[in-house]
Amino acid sequence: MDAVSLRQTARVIAHSSSLSVRNTFAAVPWWLWLAQVLLTSFFAMAFFAYVADFAQNPEVTVAYVVLGNAIQAVAMVTLYSVANLPAIEKHVGTMPVLISSPTGLFTIFVGMSLFQIMAGFLTVAVSMGYAVYLFGLDLSAMHLSVMVVVIVLTSFSMAGLGMMIGAIGTYLRTGMIIASVVSYIGLVLCGVNFPVHYLPDWLQPISYGLPLTYAVEAARLAAEGATLTEVFPQLRMMLLLGVGMLVASYFMLKGFERMVRRKGAYEAF
Amino acid sequence: MNVRASYAAFRQQMTHFLTDPQWIIPSLIAPFMFTMVVLMIYQDVDGPVVLQAVLGGGVLGMWGNTLYSSGWSISYDRYNGTLEPLMTSPTRLMDVVAGRSVWNTLIGLSNAVLVFVIAEIMFRTGVGLANPAEFFFILIMTLASLASIGLVFSAFFVLTRASSVLMSSLEFPIYVVSGAMFPITILPDWVIPVSYILAPSWGVDAMKIAALDGYEGIGLGIAGSLAVMLLLTAIYIIMARWLFKKIERNVRSYGTITRF
Repeated sequence: MDAVSLRQTARVIAHSSSLSVRNTFAAVPWWLWLAQVLLTSFFAMAFFAYVADFAQNPEVTVAYVVLGNAIQAVAMVTLYSVANLPAIEKHVGTMPVLISSPTGLFTIFVGMSLFQIMAGFLTVAVSMGYAVYLFGLDLSAMHLSVMVVVIVLTSFSMAGLGMMIGAIGTYLRTGMIIASVVSYIGLVLCGVNFPVHYLPDWLQPISYGLPLTYAVEAARLAAEGATLTEVFPQLRMMLLLGVGMLVASYFMLKGFERMVRRKGAYEAF
Repeated sequence: MNVRASYAAFRQQMTHFLTDPQWIIPSLIAPFMFTMVVLMIYQDVDGPVVLQAVLGGGVLGMWGNTLYSSGWSISYDRYNGTLEPLMTSPTRLMDVVAGRSVWNTLIGLSNAVLVFVIAEIMFRTGVGLANPAEFFFILIMTLASLASIGLVFSAFFVLTRASSVLMSSLEFPIYVVSGAMFPITILPDWVIPVSYILAPSWGVDAMKIAALDGYEGIGLGIAGSLAVMLLLTAIYIIMARWLFKKIERNVRSYGTITRF
């Protein structure tokens, strides 16, 4: 890629990103959007915290559950928002215009997802605040820089998963169904609310094919004071899965563009 | 009440449901996954606690269905451009929404039963209901109370384009304060009065008394909890009726429906 096309790509990403912010706040006032972030993260965490409190399982304490849910919150915000992008374009009738433009869908969707990824960071900051100040999570041993790296890589890998689901969704009417199913499966399989070893043996390999499992593991280690070297295996897996999924989504979107242009079948999907 | 309009709305809602499979997510997949998570957290516990988790899953399913279907009920009209004709037709909006709610209630009931059955098959909880007939009667009444909350929300959703944000914000609070998955007595003292003004909390309490031997709950017994739930449901319906009338009158008088 030469300097001109790199600059062009950066401009497309910047424009798509700013458009995404304007779209978000066109229908929803900022205070309501913020209230949703604050309330949803609090009540989702509170729900599982009370379940853990009632269950009195020594391995699944309130602290265990709230940390898992804080990481799950950022993962899900990123996953849903990225996976839903093609469906929104189809719904408002702009998908054919996007496909017929010289810019690739992948670049546009990367730009559009940036704001939502930032929103994910806000969500995790809020969730961590609840976890520490309302639910008594002890983070005194944590190295902040390690946790920040874990959260950034969680967002990146979940954006990769979201982009892949979104790319599959371009071939369907919407990718939201797949995104929802994956997110709920993640709640069960990824060690968010209980250790992965509680699952039947045949399900555990699926857990370790999902980036959220490594994200939750790394966050728990970081909370206990692990260094970057100690969480490196989990970080490496998140990075590998994230890159792999982004590459896959790039080729799936390219394939979709080629197919609908060749067949003239924009409206068929 | 315009029964023909309500029946037509019922059929229309059925068609929408059957042609849009994503409804199955809030209705069935989400509550079932929550039930699985809760059962996993309750490792090595006895029948009544497991039954409480399964019951809770059913209630979460009913609530998810009520909330999303009531929210989308109006939003779909807005998306499709049919809200304005609907508002200007001689039929009252509440009659239309009520017809849709009846369909949603039927789906909610089937969701609850499906969550019970699947959880029983997968986890082999081996627990039975102490009073099955009473239990199913209360289940249906609880569904009706959830539907009445859905009516109140639908009225508010006429006034906003942000119903999807409101829906996702309202999902978990009810999960927490209704005590579906755990007794409301473990909530902070200041939250408990909020639970008491929600009809489903009383329905859940009555269901647990009917299902679990020796469960005392809030302390009013089945009849007492059921009576409070029905009273609150009646209040919600009156409130919804008043809201619909007021909102319909306002948007017609000022011609402001497209503003929202």
